[in-house]
Amino acid sequence: MNQLLALFRLDLRLFFQDRRSLVLLFLVPIGIASFMGTLTSNLGKPSDRGGIGLIVVDQDRSDLSAGLVSALGKDANFQVLETNETVARQWVLSGRRPVALVVPEGFGANALFGLFNTNRKPVITVLFDPSRSMERQMVEGLLVPKVFQALAENALTVESLRSLVREGVARIEATPPDPSWDQTTVRKLMDQTDTWLAEQTNSRPFQREGSTSAAEGEIGLPLPYTTRVEALVKGEAAYNAYAHSFAGMGVQFVLMAMIDLAVGLLRDRESGVFRRLRSLPLSRTTLLAGKAVAWAAIALISLVGCFAFAMLVFGVRVQGSWVGFVGVLLATSFLASTLGLALAAVGRTPAGTRGFAIGFILLMVMVGGAWFPSFVFPKWLQTVSLAVPTRWAMDGLNAMTWRGLGWEAALPSMGVLLAFSALFAAITWKWFKWEA
Amino acid sequence: MVTPLLKAHHLVKRFGSRTAVEGVSFTLQRGESVGLLGPNGAGKSTTIGLLAGLLVPDEGEVQLEGSPIAGETDPRKRKLGLVPQELALYEELTARRNLEFFGSLQGLIGAKLHRAINEALQLVGLADRAGDLVKQFSGGMKRRLNLSVALLHDPELLLLDEPTVGVDPQSRNAIFDNIEQLRQRGKTILYTTHYMEEVERLCDRVIIVDHGRIVADDTLVGLKRRLAGTGRLTLDLSAAPEESTLQAFRNRSGITGVEVRETRVTMTVEDLTVGLAAVLEEVNRSGLRVRALESGQASLEDVFLDLTGRSLRDG
Ligand SMILES: Nc1ncnc2c1ncn2[C@@H]1O[C@H](COP(=O)(O)OP(=O)(O)OP(=O)(O)O)[C@@H](O)[C@H]1O
Ligand SMILES: [Mg+2]
Repeated sequence: MNQLLALFRLDLRLFFQDRRSLVLLFLVPIGIASFMGTLTSNLGKPSDRGGIGLIVVDQDRSDLSAGLVSALGKDANFQVLETNETVARQWVLSGRRPVALVVPEGFGANALFGLFNTNRKPVITVLFDPSRSMERQMVEGLLVPKVFQALAENALTVESLRSLVREGVARIEATPPDPSWDQTTVRKLMDQTDTWLAEQTNSRPFQREGSTSAAEGEIGLPLPYTTRVEALVKGEAAYNAYAHSFAGMGVQFVLMAMIDLAVGLLRDRESGVFRRLRSLPLSRTTLLAGKAVAWAAIALISLVGCFAFAMLVFGVRVQGSWVGFVGVLLATSFLASTLGLALAAVGRTPAGTRGFAIGFILLMVMVGGAWFPSFVFPKWLQTVSLAVPTRWAMDGLNAMTWRGLGWEAALPSMGVLLAFSALFAAITWKWFKWEA
Repeated sequence: MVTPLLKAHHLVKRFGSRTAVEGVSFTLQRGESVGLLGPNGAGKSTTIGLLAGLLVPDEGEVQLEGSPIAGETDPRKRKLGLVPQELALYEELTARRNLEFFGSLQGLIGAKLHRAINEALQLVGLADRAGDLVKQFSGGMKRRLNLSVALLHDPELLLLDEPTVGVDPQSRNAIFDNIEQLRQRGKTILYTTHYMEEVERLCDRVIIVDHGRIVADDTLVGLKRRLAGTGRLTLDLSAAPEESTLQAFRNRSGITGVEVRETRVTMTVEDLTVGLAAVLEEVNRSGLRVRALESGQASLEDVFLDLTGRSLRDG
């Protein structure tokens, strides 16, 4: 019993010794749990995520297309940006927005006829980021009621109905005589309708009651348009889901590896190696620089190994710029090494540092989108994730691999990663103690 | 007068409210071999740390050949070879890789480094184990490797912080032999220990520290001369003496050091005849009985007791 008590007290004492690590050790699971909870409770509700970033290109400029754009804009599920097709393609290609709709010229003129006549259905082009087909499907689904709503509000004018009737008359005239139905009577009926419509001097649209929601009942109707879906990747590029997962896990692995190095450095301080080092004509700067470069090299080798495997086994390709790819890998490596040093600088005991570092890095990797793509995050978390360097590493690697973008597209990622490296280096510089 | 190789001038080092080193001053001349002797916590390692530039003194200054070491990268640091009290080695690497690493940081490269490594390994008798991982070494072998790292760059001054701690007598002898060889080669040595016999074997001079202060700085001959005529008395009493009895011993003139271990009391006395009479008188007065009595000339082992009133080993 005494022994048990002694063992019990020992471990509790040791555990509560390193206060600072302890606080972080408790904060981290709270952080991770909150993160997972928010995520799972938000899945499938785009509105909570600030809406799907949707681009609409209105090439028609008709009342109907304008009505469609405004109907989409009013829906909380979307965050609509209107622009031209070139910009739309660029933004989707670079991953800034997941989906773009191109409403073609003649949409307003043809949509109503499209309901009855397959030959006149306008074609809406859906441009999307192939890593985000979930959002593409949502957009396609939600588009249907919006088009009907726009039709109901903008297309049912006297003029549009008269042209519909006149087209019917023209078709009957073009049809050869058929004894199975009374063509003359139908024609007469249509002429009367046209005359009646013409008497309605005002061309105001037919307002329908509760028109905003009325459209939803009509989804069963044949659609007034068709879609053409186009996954956007550069040139020959093709989406490879492994590219994303290897980027995510590669970054995570490399950051985790830094924990061991940081803990090793703290052990060196305890073991007396630092005393020996300090007795040599060696500066603190040289020591830190040496560690930073060595650790970055370790990180780089790990990342290269990781991607080499993905390339050989899963056919992942650098479809964009190799220069940019190597640049992002280098920047990520320096991020990792400086983060490792910063951990060693702020850490006190090796064990305590390991504890909080694991949690800290997991959180960073998750918020950075290595486990789940960041677009499933709620809006605020997506904003937060921009302040997390791993997010930028992921974006940069994705851009250079399956997105197939040019080296310029790697610059923002590299810039942010190097800025974070500088921050971590500054933390190291300020806090790292090698007095033995 | 020649500039001393090393000069410590009124060094003070505090850790929080504890003063580990309190006004330590001494000099080391070239080729001297000096023992830094003191019980646990006396401030030996802290002093060594100050000398080697690991710690910045709160007061005072260390001068190497007449001027203080200028910054972390002062090339004159190469004149120093530090053997830390802890085993400052990479356990996961082989002995040779350890030597290569630390040698490179000393600025050695290529054939020069290679030669230095072989010489150092030869000296400490680890040449045949150079390729083994340090973690597979015995405690004594690790100690010897720890020593050899400090020898690579052929420093003029060796600062040895308890290089034999936790080592069996055989390995200890091996290390002594190594140090003696270095001494013969003309190295200046500062050797930290709490064993007087190590100092007697390896050093010409002893600096004795206690509670961060120097209590004696003398040659062995000088210390012995100081002890000339001093006697040592050990009594085994019928029961552990009360504090008042010990105080009475201490108050008698002629009794300089008193140390108790249960019923055994060891004292240094200026004169055996006078001292013995005084001691027996006090024992009588306390009502205790003497079960056994030993007496003789004080040895160097008793110097510390004589100087501080307590013995080295029990700090
Ligand atoms: N880093 C430190 N922080 C706080 N106190 C310290 C530190 N280093 C040493 N001390 C204190 O300074 C005093 C002297 O310690 P030091 O290590 O110099 O003793 P020492 O003579 O080398 O002892 P030993 O023979 O046990 O090695 C001790 O009281 C010790 O607790
Ligand atoms: Mg010590």
